[in-house]
Formats: sequence, structure tokens, C-alpha cells
Amino acid sequence: MDSLGNSFGMGGASAQSKKQIWMDKIRQEAAVDQARALIDKVSENCYEKCVPKPGKELSKGETTCINMCMEKYMSAWNTVSRKYIERIQQKDI
Amino acid sequence: MDSSSGSDINLTDLSPNDKKELQQFVNNEAQKAKIQSTVHYLTDMCWKRCITSKISTGSMDSYEKPCMENCVDRYIDSQMTVLKHLEQLRGQL
Repeated sequence: MDSLGNSFGMGGASAQSKKQIWMDKIRQEAAVDQARALIDKVSENCYEKCVPKPGKELSKGETTCINMCMEKYMSAWNTVSRKYIERIQQKDI
Repeated sequence: MDSSSGSDINLTDLSPNDKKELQQFVNNEAQKAKIQSTVHYLTDMCWKRCITSKISTGSMDSYEKPCMENCVDRYIDSQMTVLKHLEQLRGQL
């Protein structure tokens, strides 16, 4: 697979698109980090909640619990994010 | 896949203006990442305090949601209290 730089043939790319390439790369890396952190936290907290006694296999009930837990965790994340940003914007800090 | 593909895009090719803009962009992204990492920490901590019953739906109930919000608010209050008291103690020296 061609790398991003090679496929654009950097010699010919304008300065504008070079800057754009950097920005896209940084944005993408941030998104991957963010996703990884969320997956870690969801796994940790939902495993703790849904599989207190690990059996021979993941039961149907445990699987359902994990799926619901994941949605719940993401909604909790959004609630916290909204609240935290609201607070730090109040400038009483 | 080549993991070092970023290195073939040369930063020195950028105009001073683009460099400045890119620096600003990186600063913004770093700020965003810092906020998100705090949100991860708070969600984890507040989840453990507020989501105490069994998971039976994919959304937060009427007790859990305000609990998550209060958890964020009180955490910041506590942080402020610590800072204020520290300031006081410093003044006594």
C-alpha cells in the first residue's frame, strides 16, 4: 500500500495540500486515540458489571448486558462531557 | 504497512504562515485531547459511583443521570476548595 506522502507525490503537491495532509493526519490520530481510550474504559467497566463470575463462555444474558452497558457508558460519557465543558466555560475556575 | 509514512512529508517545505497555522492547529488539538482525557477520567470515576445497580437498559435512569452530573460538578467544587485552602495555607506562612 502506498503511504499518504508517496501517493500524493510530495514533490508536486502544493503547500496548501501539504498543510492539509498534516492536519488530516493529526486529526485522524486524535480520533484513533480517543476511540481506543473509550474502548478500554467500556471494556473494563462493562466486564466488571456484566461478568462478575466468568463461566465457560459468555452467556446470552452477559452478552446482552455488555451491549446495553456499552450504550449506557457512551451516553454517560456524553453527559459528563457536556457538564464538564459547561463548567470550565463558566470561568469560575 | 509503513508506520513512518509521516516522515516523508517534509515540514520544512511549509511557508512560515502555514507553519504558524499548523502550530495553532496542533495546540488546539492538544487542548481538545486534554479535555477529552479528563472526561474519560470523570466518566470512569462517576460511573463507579452512580451506576450501582444492574444494567437493564441502554440509557441512564432518572437517578443515574443527575448523579453523573452532580458528580462532575462536585468534583470541580472539591478541586476549587482544595485550591482555595491551599492558597489560604500559603498566606499563613
